[in-house]
Amino acid sequence: MSVNHVLPFLSTLIMLVFTVSVLRRYIVRRQAHFLFWGIGLAMFGAGSFAEAYLALAWNKWIFFAWYLFGAALNAAWLGHGTLYLLVRRKWVNVVTGILIVGSLFAGYLMLQAMPKLDEAVFTIDKIVSEQYGTKVLEEGESAPAGALTITTTYRGEEVTAVRGLLPLGTPVRLTTPFFNIYGLITLVGGAIYSAFLFWRKRVMPNRVIANVLIAAGALLIGFASTLTRLGYGEYLYVGELFSAILMYAGFQLAAKPQPHEMIESVPAPASAD
Amino acid sequence: MTEKNGKSHMPKDSFFFEKVVPASLVFMGLVMLGLIIFAAGVLLGFIKF
Repeated sequence: MSVNHVLPFLSTLIMLVFTVSVLRRYIVRRQAHFLFWGIGLAMFGAGSFAEAYLALAWNKWIFFAWYLFGAALNAAWLGHGTLYLLVRRKWVNVVTGILIVGSLFAGYLMLQAMPKLDEAVFTIDKIVSEQYGTKVLEEGESAPAGALTITTTYRGEEVTAVRGLLPLGTPVRLTTPFFNIYGLITLVGGAIYSAFLFWRKRVMPNRVIANVLIAAGALLIGFASTLTRLGYGEYLYVGELFSAILMYAGFQLAAKPQPHEMIESVPAPASAD
Repeated sequence: MTEKNGKSHMPKDSFFFEKVVPASLVFMGLVMLGLIIFAAGVLLGFIKF
């Protein structure tokens, strides 16, 4: 068992502790942002666990969980929690409805894709992020050594592609960028904005640092995922682990009571308590 | 969350809070924009996988 087999399990463990911690706060305080964060973190944890599992063996339903929760939805749900914290307007409820319907639709599309999975290409020698997509080869481009290829008609043209688990044109893949862009803007943008607000007022340094850590953690996983898609998958698991550590540290730091806190009500954006 | 009049303040003349924090916020904002552009490129088909 290599380090790359162990790292996703460590990330899963951290996300499990993190998720329980956030959901416990939701149970006590009944604030919606904790619920969305908790769901998003549970999705992140499910994605990490699925990745760890798929580094050892194949199971198509684990792959279902990995793609839907780990690759598509988790950032959007986490970010939506931040939106709930920062914006207390009715239109956020409309966005919630869109997020739920969109997530169910993505789940439906993923279910539709399940019978079409090209399971023959799966190998435990590569991380799942490097083998889920079918990639069309450009003219003159050659397939990597050992890669399985297919020649087929795609959008009216005959193309040669490196085979992946999800066949060419699988509709669920079109939904992923929407969720990830939304998650990136709300989670990272929300944390940066919150840090900036505290920094500008020169108050609550713990929350400035906490939000910097949360933004850095979220960016790190986004960056590692992007590198993976560009062919540098070796950084993904370590990126995920550090992302989990940074976000958890940020959450704990924001939640830490300060000596002078309490009493007079003042809105405190992007706090974790 | 509530807080008191005498809430905690950033240390004065702190290099970390005066320089490092704003620089990291700007840097992270730029990285975020880069990732958004990348994701949009994927969505619009400019970047292929």
